[in-house]
Amino acid sequence: MMTALTRRDFGKCALAGLTASAWAQPAAAVNRSFISGVQFGLQPFCYHDLAMNRENRPTLVKRLVQNGFGMVELHATWCEPRFDAPGVSAEMAREKLRNWRVTTPVDYYRNIKKEFDDAGVTIFTYWVGINETYTDAEIDATYEAAKALGAKGAVGSQGLAVSQRLVPFTAKHGIFTGLHNHDNLSDPDALSNEASFDKGLAYSPNFKATLDVRHFTAGNGDCIGFLERHHERVSSVHLGDRRRNNGRSAPFGEGDAPIIQILRLIRDNRWPIVALLEFEHGTLRTGVEEVQLMFDYCKRALA
Amino acid sequence: MTVSRCQVVCAAILVTGSLWAQSAGTPGYDINYIGPRMADPILQHSKEMYVLYGCSYCHGLYLESRGEATDLMHSRLVGRDENANLIGPLLRAGIPQTAKLSPMPQFSDLSDQQISAIATWIHYARQQGRYKELMEGKDLSSGSAEAGKAYFERTCISCHSMPGDLTRDPGALRASILRPKFLDTPASWQIDRLRDTKTAAARERHLALLENYSADDVANLIAYLSVK
Repeated sequence: MMTALTRRDFGKCALAGLTASAWAQPAAAVNRSFISGVQFGLQPFCYHDLAMNRENRPTLVKRLVQNGFGMVELHATWCEPRFDAPGVSAEMAREKLRNWRVTTPVDYYRNIKKEFDDAGVTIFTYWVGINETYTDAEIDATYEAAKALGAKGAVGSQGLAVSQRLVPFTAKHGIFTGLHNHDNLSDPDALSNEASFDKGLAYSPNFKATLDVRHFTAGNGDCIGFLERHHERVSSVHLGDRRRNNGRSAPFGEGDAPIIQILRLIRDNRWPIVALLEFEHGTLRTGVEEVQLMFDYCKRALA
Repeated sequence: MTVSRCQVVCAAILVTGSLWAQSAGTPGYDINYIGPRMADPILQHSKEMYVLYGCSYCHGLYLESRGEATDLMHSRLVGRDENANLIGPLLRAGIPQTAKLSPMPQFSDLSDQQISAIATWIHYARQQGRYKELMEGKDLSSGSAEAGKAYFERTCISCHSMPGDLTRDPGALRASILRPKFLDTPASWQIDRLRDTKTAAARERHLALLENYSADDVANLIAYLSVK
């Protein structure tokens, strides 16, 4: 039976569609990894055989294209230099990195954005491990960098205390802050279960959940229920598989994460939630081969 | 017997093909990450299990840990492990209660053979790494003969009551302390050698020592044995 839409409903749908379109189809042309109504991207941590450093960035771009991705969550280490070296203490390396962050002009990041743009890859989010060692100037520079990269948000696994500190920065810079969970249920500061997300998301309307499906499942969370209740505050899912009860990572379809159901939920509700493939299960195959297998699994789920 | 031109050409093709396969890798086997296949198939299998269950992503293929993962090269638990008696239960249970961001997952569904293979690789990689570290380590002249004597009497004397046949050259002495030559001979599976408990025990003991020597232990032993 068809249900008549009220004007308000229609308005909501149109707005959701526009938002989805703005995120999911950023360029004039359709993003190459917008498939069957779901915008896919990659958390390139998956290329376990490729060290995440700026020297390998050209290879990363090539691989993303090779695997058919038009969207990526870019980890800061693909952009930042490393200062740890023999004879350099951890404190010294940290200080050098801090200094580099606060003195690097935004054009540096704009040039990186161009590398991805030229390959037809949109940087959806910038992944940064902000923690208590960051100065305010460093956090500010990090959000500037994210904006210059064209990212819609800055994402990290920071705990609740550090997240609270990010509230004025995300408001000032006008991009969202993504809260990413692991499955550490014993640390009250950690993002891990629905209650911790409730707390974190309440800090700021600019905070979004980057729901890591693998870890949420391993922490015995209900991914489907979470998305039903919080989809308006979810920017993306890290899509992969793990077993429940702090179980191990597994190839897609071999763990307990409801990957197929999540993808269909996103598709059928037209939610502007980006599905970022990420996995940690071991493989003897090359990163490109394994990413392709997992991506093909997702495509079949939507076929 | 003469070798025909055809045989030479065939051999060249086979060699070239093999070299290509080694360098370019074969589908389904990431040679650039896992490395060329090892001569010992048991070690190769152990290495593959370690990769296949994702251990290498956090703990490093050769135990160069990254992020917050435990450094298996210097972990005391790994140093005390014998035939997966400590590693096995830990793998099966994981470490759910932890101050770390991402707890160590549990691998309760792995078989004894799979656990054993993973432990085998960890120990092999640790032995290689510790040998390298200790060979490149500290000044050999800094040891204490007195501490070396105490170590020798505590650890070695039950088997080596007369270390008189050892070389006096500190560098060579270090190499033979860390890796006695008999360790390079593969263990035999001949039925009459299976009960050779003395050699098997010596092998296990020396490999365990190699995983646990500190740089000071080695320098002290050299100081003691060089003057004895």
